[in-house]
Amino acid sequence: MISETTNGAQPISQIINQSIEQKVNYLQELKQAVANHADQAIYALLDQKRYAAEIMHREEKANDTGVMTLVDDLTAQLSNYLSTKLINYLSQAYPFFYYEEYQLGHYRMYFGNWWDRRQFGELDVLNIRFVFDQSEYAKLAKSFELAQAGQRYNGQRIEELSKENDRLQALIDSADKRDAKKEELQAELKEASARNGLFESSKNRETREAIVAKLSELENQDEEARTAAGKIKANNQQVLELSKENTILSYERKSIVDTFGSFEDFELANRKLYASYLQSLVADGKQVEADD
Amino acid sequence: MTKQMISTATEQVTSLTASLTTGLKLGERYVQLLDQLATATVPTELLDAAGQLVEFDLNHAYVKFPQHYQPEDYYLLLMGRLLELAGIGDFAVKPDPMHRRLAMRLTTFENDYTFCFEQKRSRPGAFFCEQTDHEPLFNLDLAHHSLQFDNRALVDFLIVKEIANHNDLELQGVVKPLVAFANLLVEQLDFTINLGILATDNAAQFKLAAPELSLTVIDKLFVQTAETDTVLLSLPQNNGAKLALASDTALSLAFDPDDYTKQWFFMVTDAKAQLSFLDVLLHYPLVRDWYLANRSALAIRDDQFAYAPVDEHVVVNSPATDAEPIKEEAPASAVEEEDGENDA
Repeated sequence: MISETTNGAQPISQIINQSIEQKVNYLQELKQAVANHADQAIYALLDQKRYAAEIMHREEKANDTGVMTLVDDLTAQLSNYLSTKLINYLSQAYPFFYYEEYQLGHYRMYFGNWWDRRQFGELDVLNIRFVFDQSEYAKLAKSFELAQAGQRYNGQRIEELSKENDRLQALIDSADKRDAKKEELQAELKEASARNGLFESSKNRETREAIVAKLSELENQDEEARTAAGKIKANNQQVLELSKENTILSYERKSIVDTFGSFEDFELANRKLYASYLQSLVADGKQVEADD
Repeated sequence: MTKQMISTATEQVTSLTASLTTGLKLGERYVQLLDQLATATVPTELLDAAGQLVEFDLNHAYVKFPQHYQPEDYYLLLMGRLLELAGIGDFAVKPDPMHRRLAMRLTTFENDYTFCFEQKRSRPGAFFCEQTDHEPLFNLDLAHHSLQFDNRALVDFLIVKEIANHNDLELQGVVKPLVAFANLLVEQLDFTINLGILATDNAAQFKLAAPELSLTVIDKLFVQTAETDTVLLSLPQNNGAKLALASDTALSLAFDPDDYTKQWFFMVTDAKAQLSFLDVLLHYPLVRDWYLANRSALAIRDDQFAYAPVDEHVVVNSPATDAEPIKEEAPASAVEEEDGENDA
């Protein structure tokens, strides 16, 4: 038999009423907050637990998933709506990040405004956090690490390529020398060959084989020299790419140091971004009240 | 001369005197025009005299004038007179007895530059050339009322050769009176001019000759800026790059995002619109070294005036189809081609 009461305590209808009332209240509060562009209140409603913990410093509050899922279908619109003030704030706090809304409420981040700047991840507006592109972020972190040791990110690779180019260039430059040497060896070989035959001495055979080996080594070098110019060009292109990456990383490091002092302080600021931003909204609100 | 048989002495004398008279009249006319070019104070009269003199045929079967000037000299005289009348004393025209001609020298700083006009077959007008390298810095065409600077020659002369011998301000001193002269021609004689890379207007686009630009070339400049205070910026619409050279001065290398041809061009913007692309090359070694190292990719196009044969209205000929640059910087240029090339 279906009972109208649970555990004999509350009638089901009352529970429904209460729940609906909560939802209506929630939506009304949200509606009001949106009408007033009270972004801080919107954030409080969208993630009550996080807001309580990070702003009110209270741990007890649990998220009421029943009401919060009510606006799940509006995340893109809410993100777009909340982005204005957030990006405005970020343009001061992180002056080196640039954003592009590639679809409603979704924001790509670029590091810097310089040539061939990197796409650095996305901005998660509803959660007030950066979603960094992990490989790009790792490069930057590594670059900071290396800079402390006085090294450049691609320094070693560039040095290897430069050395390789020097070697290849030397191969090209020594073509005439090799030709002369080959002629010399060929004459020697001819002489040694004249003495071969059935009764060739083992010493003569060794000499002959050594000459042949030397000649074949020179042939190999000639072969490599023929393709060296193309390789040098390709290596130079690679050096350019690597140098470009170094240049970009150096601009990124400079931006972070100029704004935050160090990479660690930058990371700390990222972790505290939610609280820092919402507190700035509180401060702004008070400022407005004080002005009134 | 008459086709009739000359039968008597009197008839022969009459015929001779008639011929001598036309010869003398020719000389008289020549003297008159020279006089006009030397003494007139109205620019249109000077142009009129010079225009007639460059076409003047002083050859006569009966009367010879061993002492006379060459057509190139009249261009130089005209230029000298116009500058003199405008109070621009940077250049002085002097006789050059060794070469039996007139020559122009800079008066503003110590140097050995001598400038003369030179004529070339197959190209109208005359070219203003420095006499060591004979770089044709500009073409002056009196018949078509036009003056055009040659970008390739300007870069070769000032940026490649002379930058080692003179500082940027001195070289600007060479260019300044030339631009002043070109502007005089516009203001006083209604000439059509093409300043090329000397244009200082902020809106001036210095178009690249190559139809496409590899972004690697911009990468190279970017890498060069790493150790400097200058940052190479990306343009907001990803249509090129911008180099901030000073607080109010920037060099852009861009294309119009709405233009499907993606024509790349340089632009120089400064608060007072006083800097040309050449000035940037003169002042900033960073840009200069990069430009010269990548000149085949970055060479500025030379737009040549073309003339309609009948009414001779000046129209700008876009050499976009001259895709194969044979010589750097001057894909459409016939300037240094000695052998005749059709300027259609």
